[in-house]
Amino acid sequence: MILLDYHNRIIEDTLKARFNPENKPKLVDMSIVDFDGVSYHISTLENQETKLLLSIRWKCWPELIQYGAESVLKREYSQWITQPEVGYDFSLLFDLENIGADPEDVIRKVSLLKRNAMAAPFERAFDAQALAEKEEQWDPTTSQLMTIHYREGESIFIQNQQDRVTVIFSTLFKEETDRIFGKVFLQEFVDARRKPHLQHAPQVIYSHREPPLEIRHLPGLEDSESMGYITFVLFPRHFVSGQVREETISRIQIFRDYLHYHIKCSKAYMHSRMRARVSDFLKVLNRAKPEHHAVEKKLASGRAFRRT
Amino acid sequence: MSRLAPVVIDNGTGFTKMGFAGNSDPSFIQPTVIATRDRGSAAKGPSVPSKPSFLNTSSSSNLASKRGIEDLDFYIGDEAVANSKTYALNYPIRHGQIDNWDHMERYWEQSIFKYLRCEPEDHYFLLTEPPLNAPENRENTAEIMFESFNIQGLYIAVQAVLALAASWTSNKVSEQSLTGTVIDSGDGVTHVIPVAEGYVIGSSIKSVPIAGRDLTSFVQNLLRERGESMIPAEDSMTVAQRIKEQYSYVCPDIVKEFKKYDQEGDKYFKKYDGVHSVTGQPYSVDVGFERFLAPEIFFNPEIASSDYLTPLPEVVDTVVQTSPIDVRRGLYKNIVLSGGSTMFENFGKRLQRDIKRIADARIRRSEILSGGSMRSTPMEVNVISHKFQRYAVWFGGSLLASTPEFYSYCHTKAEYDEIGPSICRHNRVFGTLG
Repeated sequence: MILLDYHNRIIEDTLKARFNPENKPKLVDMSIVDFDGVSYHISTLENQETKLLLSIRWKCWPELIQYGAESVLKREYSQWITQPEVGYDFSLLFDLENIGADPEDVIRKVSLLKRNAMAAPFERAFDAQALAEKEEQWDPTTSQLMTIHYREGESIFIQNQQDRVTVIFSTLFKEETDRIFGKVFLQEFVDARRKPHLQHAPQVIYSHREPPLEIRHLPGLEDSESMGYITFVLFPRHFVSGQVREETISRIQIFRDYLHYHIKCSKAYMHSRMRARVSDFLKVLNRAKPEHHAVEKKLASGRAFRRT
Repeated sequence: MSRLAPVVIDNGTGFTKMGFAGNSDPSFIQPTVIATRDRGSAAKGPSVPSKPSFLNTSSSSNLASKRGIEDLDFYIGDEAVANSKTYALNYPIRHGQIDNWDHMERYWEQSIFKYLRCEPEDHYFLLTEPPLNAPENRENTAEIMFESFNIQGLYIAVQAVLALAASWTSNKVSEQSLTGTVIDSGDGVTHVIPVAEGYVIGSSIKSVPIAGRDLTSFVQNLLRERGESMIPAEDSMTVAQRIKEQYSYVCPDIVKEFKKYDQEGDKYFKKYDGVHSVTGQPYSVDVGFERFLAPEIFFNPEIASSDYLTPLPEVVDTVVQTSPIDVRRGLYKNIVLSGGSTMFENFGKRLQRDIKRIADARIRRSEILSGGSMRSTPMEVNVISHKFQRYAVWFGGSLLASTPEFYSYCHTKAEYDEIGPSICRHNRVFGTLG
């Protein structure tokens, strides 16, 4: 598994089981989490086992709403949106007797809830860029820099310009080893793009500690050894409406988790190499044991003396 | 920021149960199996290489000799089983103990990122270990968890103790005590484990080589011998398993039960309807005596095997009798069931009756031997069943991890960095070395 899935498997499995008319409706009450500190709560309404409520809580929800998440969510989930549950940011309500659409389709959509919420600022930036491109005299001051504080200490910055959209991730490595792995990994990204068949991939720039020019003026940027900034430069060909655009958004929003997943995988790989090496060394050590020489010792009388 | 729910993972020999604390069911239950590209140990080179083995890399099929992204090319759980044609299946856990750390590390990697979808750096983890696990294993686990995954905190709990904690939900339990006998019967083996105030009495643990898999093959045999020719050969195992799970129950008396079936067959004989997995043809199978005979092999093992003959109630009794004398009453009083093979209807009742019989007989005998001068209070025997029995260990973990004290029992990353993996030898719940 090189890439991570975009959808949430637990939601997918739960809804599949609940939407299946063969399964009897039963009480459900589970809280689960997703990457980046997202919490979900799936429950049935009190005394109504056929009404399923799914709520999401995310630290950066108000920011997403500010950047137009509402319209994206309306577009995707209009018929199920309900008053948010207490303590959560957004809720969907399903009537299991009348789902209102093809269940397969609903399951797929709902399991992508986090991704769709995150898609809003991207879509806004892409649309703004498309408009800007048509204008002959584009006023650079109209470009908007959107900041999403999606994790503690880590943010995504999205900025639209006339000919491109820049996405910057700030990422925090808690561990010294992780930082080194991350650095190697990200430099590899930059190098890999030089290969001829990857010329069309978005440009990637990695900078360690030093924030890129686009966001340098922002207040509150943490200045520490463990900070890193990754910049993606997206050109219009990367977000042609339709499949390409959706795919680009999905990939970018999972990037941080992808990066950390691979750092962990590399460490696991290193560990397995270390284990192999240790067991090899042990073999060598075992072979190096001094051999026991069975020299027959004799007493003065000439009789053999055997030690047992 | 409020803390995210701790992750609870129970890696068993057969199945892994994982999910988030606070829920009543694990989010995923899947086989503990990993499918990798290397072809197992069969492809290994000669056993005695002519030069030091670290110089010749060709003979090793180990992951460490691979370059590129082979280390990411693997599947776990149900997907591994589905891909078993092109990949080699490996079982990283044997007899409850982790056997292959390379595979286990990658198993966890995918469990966390692909299935649970959580960033391990944001969570506390609760893992389980079998009773009598070597402290080295615990240290290895801690090493992987803290160094590979940078988890915030770790608690490693003994499975039997969690099963005891899970039984607190039963209404038969009046006090939350950590003293009791756990009967843990999964797919591969059945263990009887005495626990006194949270400590496992290691010297008294007994295991019984009868478990879910044996019951299934017993049913399969009965069906085959009776000549149920409708069952397609390739499905006979799954059909047997379904019949076992759906129709089996424990009877109070095997002879009476046979009589009942002979007299009013219509009432007791059932039909199992299945669909042929390849041709799609429906078929039906009669389900008869195997309904009560399958679980009966726990109580009368001689009907299924000729080499293991001790009934389960007797094993439980021996376990309690070999434990320290001052905890025996507690052990009889709180016998807790855990695992899928204890789910049969009336299993608990029958067990309770049989153990009570043995205990009472012993008390009577000692009274007679003392010449009537000594009277003992009758032994209280309680077998506790509850609705979370199937995943009792996981559920106990979920219960424990959702308490606010859980965080204070955990070993945190900071402590690990300060002291090293040896902190895992210490268990804070018990204060001293545990």
